[in-house]
Amino acid sequence: MEIVQWKDVSNDRLNNISFTVLENQIITLIGPSGAGKSSLLYMMNRLDDTDKGTILFKGKAVEDYPIIELRQQIGMVFQSPALFEGTVKDNVAYGPLLHKRDWSNEQTVELLEAVHLPADFLHKPIEELSGGEQQRIAFLRTLANEPEILLLDEVTSALDLRNVEIIEDFIQMLQKKGKTILMVTHDVEQAERLGDQTFYLEKGELIEVGETKEFFREPQTDRAKRFLYRDTEGADE
Amino acid sequence: MAPEISTTSMLFLLVFVLIPVSLSYMYALNLSGSITWSSFRGAAQLFLIGYLLTFLFELPPLVGIPIMLTVMITVAGFHAAKKGKGIPGVILLIFGILVTVEVVVLSMWLGFGMIEFNPEQVIPMSGMVIGNSMVAIGLALERMKSEFNENHSRLLAALSLGATPKVATQPIIKRIVRAAMIPNVDGLKTIGLVQLPGMMTGLILAGVSPHLAIRYQIVISLSIFVAVSVSAMLVTVFTYRRFFNKNLQLTRVENDGSV
Repeated sequence: MEIVQWKDVSNDRLNNISFTVLENQIITLIGPSGAGKSSLLYMMNRLDDTDKGTILFKGKAVEDYPIIELRQQIGMVFQSPALFEGTVKDNVAYGPLLHKRDWSNEQTVELLEAVHLPADFLHKPIEELSGGEQQRIAFLRTLANEPEILLLDEVTSALDLRNVEIIEDFIQMLQKKGKTILMVTHDVEQAERLGDQTFYLEKGELIEVGETKEFFREPQTDRAKRFLYRDTEGADE
Repeated sequence: MAPEISTTSMLFLLVFVLIPVSLSYMYALNLSGSITWSSFRGAAQLFLIGYLLTFLFELPPLVGIPIMLTVMITVAGFHAAKKGKGIPGVILLIFGILVTVEVVVLSMWLGFGMIEFNPEQVIPMSGMVIGNSMVAIGLALERMKSEFNENHSRLLAALSLGATPKVATQPIIKRIVRAAMIPNVDGLKTIGLVQLPGMMTGLILAGVSPHLAIRYQIVISLSIFVAVSVSAMLVTVFTYRRFFNKNLQLTRVENDGSV
């Protein structure tokens, strides 16, 4: 079932973008820097607005939702964890408290375990966490809001291999639990590992959309081919 | 009573200015021009104000006081607004705050019979309150811009989770108001122990008994404390929302002042 639809959406960074996202899929967004990948996520969370076109979430234009409700339902995790002052518990419970939902320490502990962090992290001040641990907590902070869609903006780009593995496993587990995920990544191998569908963007345009396996086996456009070929050679984007 | 300072002894003061100028040369601080210019400009400004005050003190209070207060608030307002350059409507807000603070403090002084409504008392005391409020407002605005820049990603994260600008900026606002109040809180703790405050010193030098001078100092210190706290609080509370648009989106704030 369709959960998100973009119809001819433009703003100062994106040009005439149209696509559909089906429920419970992982969409990987790839493309060179400045392609507009992050802008696309920002617009879904309404951290940025469209100049033209319509974004539909569950059949209704995003502008027709109260912004706060929309942001709770479409959660976002950023490249930088940007945790708030306080403890792990303060961060994870931030969303539920904000939306006046009951939230127990047990629920936080349950989430911590899902990302391989021990229960005694609950009261740990955020300054004592490593970069990878902080990013995992940022993930949980968004998840505690119980969003239907997760937008992930280069969430593993600054992490070591071990943390990348943990987060990738977690993303796959979230998909099994019914979440729809749109993730921007610079790591094309990660895009291939995790995606059901892959979007290739360049200079604000959506150049190619394809089933991830198909896309990586045989990209249809020259621009996507050039990008993948150059990327596999290890050249900087 | 302190002896009158002659023009000749004033000129000898220039020798003092030569000390920092020499230091600037010695350590290549490149500040000599600035030190000399500031010293002469400061002295010239004070002489001018001396003449102006003498003129205003001779006018009826209902004429002299409003004129001088208007000048003070206008100069203070424009000076503080420089720190908030780029924030929409900041100048009007600052004038509003300075007028409010001055009206409240002046009403309190007059209401409790602490001072009389004459230019000799109202103008210098109001000057201290307005000047300190101006500094507090400027610091709060400057700090606000740097806090918004430094916490850009945290603010984005809070908004993305569904926080309103008010909730998202709570920690920032706390820090700004705290930073504006702390120097005054510390100042009040050590007042008279480390250095004798300016107003009290001036009164004692003018021959007023220390007991009376202290009473005036307490009035002015507490008034400044209230004015500074209220100014910082008001400018912060009324300005933070201007860093967001109607769709609860953060507008990028640059350190150069553009919002």
